Amino acid sequence: MRPSYFINFMMGIYIFIFFAYLFGPLIIMSITAFNSAEFPSITPWECFSFRWFNEGKIAYDGQHLAGLLTDWRLHDGIISSLIIGAGVVTLSVPIGMAAAIVLTQVRSQLRDIFYSISIMPVLFPGVIIGISTVVLWDRLAGLGGEGFISDIGRNGIFLTILAQTCFISTYCFLIFVARLQRFDQTQEEAALDLGASQTQVFFKILVPYLSPAIASAAVIAFLFSFENYNTTVFSILSDQTLTTVIASKVRLGISPALSALALTIIALTIIAAATYEVLRRRAEKRYKDTQEKFVKEKAADNRINKNYKIGFKVPRGIVTILILVVFTIYGATQILKNDLYGQSCIDAADTEKKSKFYDQLNALDAIELSEEELSGGELGGNQDYGDIFGDPSLFQDFGGFD
Amino acid sequence: MSADVELSDVSVTFGSFYAAKNVNVKVNGGEFFSFLGPSGCGKTTLLRAISGFQEPSEGKVLIDNKDMSGIGPNKRPTALIFQNLALFPLMSVSENIAFSLEVRGVSKEERKKRADELLELIALEGQGDKKVHQLSGGQKQRVAIARALAVEPKVLLLDEPLSALDLKLRQRMRTELREIQKRVNITFIYITHDQGEALTMSDRIAVMNEGELEQIGKCDEVYNNPLTPFVATFVGENNPLYGKVTGIDGDKAQIETADGQYLAMMNESKKLNIGDESIAFVRPESLFIPRDGDNFDNKINVNIESFEFEGNLKNFYARLQSGAKIKFSVPNAIDTSTISSGSSIALGFDSSKSVILPKASLAID
Ligand SMILES: Nc1ncnc2c1ncn2[C@@H]1O[C@H](COP(=O)(O)OP(=O)(O)OP(=O)(O)O)[C@@H](O)[C@H]1O
Ligand SMILES: [Mg+2]
Repeated sequence: MRPSYFINFMMGIYIFIFFAYLFGPLIIMSITAFNSAEFPSITPWECFSFRWFNEGKIAYDGQHLAGLLTDWRLHDGIISSLIIGAGVVTLSVPIGMAAAIVLTQVRSQLRDIFYSISIMPVLFPGVIIGISTVVLWDRLAGLGGEGFISDIGRNGIFLTILAQTCFISTYCFLIFVARLQRFDQTQEEAALDLGASQTQVFFKILVPYLSPAIASAAVIAFLFSFENYNTTVFSILSDQTLTTVIASKVRLGISPALSALALTIIALTIIAAATYEVLRRRAEKRYKDTQEKFVKEKAADNRINKNYKIGFKVPRGIVTILILVVFTIYGATQILKNDLYGQSCIDAADTEKKSKFYDQLNALDAIELSEEELSGGELGGNQDYGDIFGDPSLFQDFGGFD
Repeated sequence: MSADVELSDVSVTFGSFYAAKNVNVKVNGGEFFSFLGPSGCGKTTLLRAISGFQEPSEGKVLIDNKDMSGIGPNKRPTALIFQNLALFPLMSVSENIAFSLEVRGVSKEERKKRADELLELIALEGQGDKKVHQLSGGQKQRVAIARALAVEPKVLLLDEPLSALDLKLRQRMRTELREIQKRVNITFIYITHDQGEALTMSDRIAVMNEGELEQIGKCDEVYNNPLTPFVATFVGENNPLYGKVTGIDGDKAQIETADGQYLAMMNESKKLNIGDESIAFVRPESLFIPRDGDNFDNKINVNIESFEFEGNLKNFYARLQSGAKIKFSVPNAIDTSTISSGSSIALGFDSSKSVILPKASLAID
């Protein structure tokens, strides 16, 4: 056995562990979205169901556990998050770009100072940015009396856009700096020399050159904004974004609807990435084709390789895809065989749980409670908890999770 | 349409450093004029002063007798071809060429027409849709020229545009450039550190060193009558013979060196007096192995050290008795089988083919 095989083998194991570490939790979470149980879990597996993507569930005790489709707080949060994301993109991309362009113009020691100041916001804790934005605008709103300033100064979405832009524009700045470092400044000079005005140089030379950076800065700004919590939680005031909604849900106990949401987001991301890749490859192929055409048209006859053909190539990800297909088929057959899919399964599970629940209630009812026991006397086993679990009305009074 | 370009006492400083110092030169309309000088001597700086990217710290740039101070590069009747060409990589060849028309608001059809004309001028018909990086080095070169010509400049400024090309292509582009210049008949100001390039293409050249002009003149004038030891050794090759002036006879001077006395031509503007420290220069191709009937007024004894075959020439490296090195070249057609390393021979050269100049530093190769 040659040593390279061994190294490849170890490398494979390493990569597997690495990816398992990265994606394992996400995969587990995605699977829990299809379990009909009230808590995200894989074992015990109740039934395979899409309910958490749809209407959720009215629980046996009367609570409504909302699904992805019926959870209006989640919807409101997503809408706010989208608005904030759009606002952050429109603010931080131009700010980052302008700052990066300024950096290329500044020479001397000022450059270092300017650079340090520009990247400082990413070094601040997000919490502080959030709080300070609120404090500042609260004062400003107080100054202006009733009116525009006072309105926007107390508008959570507006404040969140400002607060997030503070540090997200710095990430945009870094993206633009990286791209501008490779910019050949003589191109600007050439354009000037050919009679272009400074504005024309900017729009015809610099912006086209920066367009890939603009795209990636926009995507990154949006993603950072969408997933931000620690700044947002302060600056959002009485509104809610997706992250704050999720956080408040987690505090009360998570529902598989969140798994469903996570899976949806992951799926959207993968689809977007795949679409981008497909489009990119298409463009590349089109480009190669035109080049080939040029070569055929222009080159001398004896310089064309007549035997040149593009052979069929096995796609590289084929093994992964095959493994996924096998697992899916296996999972599906298991589910069908054990009758784990469909309304009948869910009904059965519910009935079982309901009967267990009433058994428990009945058991509780059966225990005679005296004053002595409730005040935590020497008798009774529940004194450690002040016996709150001994109260039969506890679950009935509780309004449910929403 | 072409224009005169005049630099009057132009100096450019970076901090306390003179990148160009007191440059005075007048380039005539329609002329192919070259600035020749070693790397870092300030050629690009001068060109940037003419095109408007660099305001001179002293002096004036005049184009068509109009003072250009305060006029930006986009307002001057010049077009610059950059050292690295600076083509726009995101645009097609045609878009590159028509860029100057686009920013002037010329209509699309008009631009296309003009781009096609220029493509024909540079012999790249039908290749306007290519991207810049699909072109070869020489083609890029020509696109850069076409792009500059599209502005219809009165003066075209070229900053070592051929330096990135290989020798054969460079030679071909020289002729092409020269032809294009004749066709469009505008002033070309060309910059190079390659003396061969300057000599073959230019009407006149200016030799620069350390930010200052050393000599301006026609090519043969500069080659045959260098004004300074720097020019003598930078333009072509030259053997220096160090010594003192011992006699003056009309326009010739006698120089006494460690290896003997030689007679050489004095330059009118660089008159010498007896006793002056000076250098006589003789070019490798002006040193001859005397044959019967030859009568040279200077004789020089050398010890052959080594030999090098260059193709059309055979170069011999030798030493004088004092140890000074000397090089001479013999056309390949001449039989030199009798000359071997270590042998000692006498060479001759004509005083009219040798110049004597006041002592100063040489161009260090
Ligand atoms: N922006 C600048 N700031 C400071 N010094 C500069 C600047 N531009 C050029 N110089 C200096 O001025 C001198 C002349 O530079 P220039 O670019 O004109 O040289 P060049 O003759 O074109 O050389 P090359 O043949 O290598 O292109 C150099 O010593 C260079 O270091
Ligand atoms: Mg230069």
